[in-house]
Amino acid sequence: MSGETTKRKAFLFVDDDAGFLTGIQELFSEMARGKWDIFTAENHAQALALLAKLRVDVVVLDIGMPVMDGIQFLQLLGRTNPGQQVVMLTGEVTEERRKAALEGGAVLFLEKPVVADSYAAIFAALDALAGALPQGGFRGMMRRVGLQEVLQLECLGRKSSILEIFTGKVRGRIFISEGSIVHAESGVLQGEVALYGLLALRGGEFNLLPFAEPPRRTIQGQWESLLMEAARLSDEGQKFLEPDEPGFGAAEPGEVATAGALDRSAGQVRIEEIVLCSGAGEVLYEWDTKSLELRLRLLEQIEQQAAQLSSLAPVGRFDRLEIITPDGRIVCQVQPDRRLFVRSAGTKAAIA
Amino acid sequence: MKEALQAFLDRNLPLPGVAACCARLVDRTFVSHCYSDWFTTAQVEQSLSRLALAADSLGYHGIQPARLCWVFEHSRIHLTLRRDGACLAFFVENRPGVDNDKLQAVLEEFTRLEAP
Repeated sequence: MSGETTKRKAFLFVDDDAGFLTGIQELFSEMARGKWDIFTAENHAQALALLAKLRVDVVVLDIGMPVMDGIQFLQLLGRTNPGQQVVMLTGEVTEERRKAALEGGAVLFLEKPVVADSYAAIFAALDALAGALPQGGFRGMMRRVGLQEVLQLECLGRKSSILEIFTGKVRGRIFISEGSIVHAESGVLQGEVALYGLLALRGGEFNLLPFAEPPRRTIQGQWESLLMEAARLSDEGQKFLEPDEPGFGAAEPGEVATAGALDRSAGQVRIEEIVLCSGAGEVLYEWDTKSLELRLRLLEQIEQQAAQLSSLAPVGRFDRLEIITPDGRIVCQVQPDRRLFVRSAGTKAAIA
Repeated sequence: MKEALQAFLDRNLPLPGVAACCARLVDRTFVSHCYSDWFTTAQVEQSLSRLALAADSLGYHGIQPARLCWVFEHSRIHLTLRRDGACLAFFVENRPGVDNDKLQAVLEEFTRLEAP
């Protein structure tokens, strides 16, 4: 066991190929000369059971596994074992997989060697990784610590850092330079809109990383004011996206709501549900959605219906559908670069 | 209702920016008017059939629409639905001068028209 001596390094290999696991255990045990503890699991359930009982330095995951593939398991580990170092080891290397793995938190993405000699390189990489000192910064969960508190600490200490935030569906970064919040990004959103969206998240994880200059600085103003505004929006149940105001169907196509819209409608409109997707359908932001699948299907359906209408009459490219219901208002926007669903209550139009 | 509807449309239309209007009655017959050569009667009637189907399909998603506005690049289509199944659509140009309040008022009045 890894806990028996502090010098030993512990690894867990997860692969549905039992033959591969046996082979790698024998080979790496020999190469490690007794300095490695190697555990194996043929599926995610076995792996989780092992991780509940022992601590390993590195989990080495195959990608192509039944029921739950390695990328999904990587995401699950991010929640169940935050901070766990994970290396992906796969026989099928594609750029898409590499991107998904690294974005999912894997520290390395390695290809399974086809010749035995190449395993030495894998061994060396894993050995170095397990022996590396912890990276600067810290990693944590924000269920008990609010993001605002972390930001406050950074700003009060006049520090420079990047606060990386991620949930299952949202990923964003807040850049702090010498105690000032200078940039935020979340999916396609940037600036204060992104900052307020991130600060409205109710759970997730964060990493505090060393500062690097953002692509551009999009936020100005005192951090106290920004955090107060975020808190105010959060208190009001308002979020960073707001359907256009005030008349039903009155705004121009392509208009994008901004945080400024919140001031106009504060106290009149209560946002109850938001889904924001990229043009490719990737969910970028989701808030209080009862059934994400149903909402995504609705947006898809509307896109198809709009295409039919466009083919029937010379109306041009579709922008959005606005729906007044007895309870409120729904806006479904389908654009090449985004799909948006916003449900709100309390509009005058809805009451009328 | 056809006569009442016709009188109602005659009384309220045309309106600035409204290129066409089309109503579908409970018996699935249409009453339509095109106020410019932008749309043909066939186009607005076919479009309204699609719009009505699309509105029905929202029920599957737990949405009970009272009014809808489909916003396109060149125009927007306002649709209002009556409880008896009749519906009215305005095909409106995207241009300044459209009296949105008046449009909404006419659509609202349509839902209160007396059924036959």
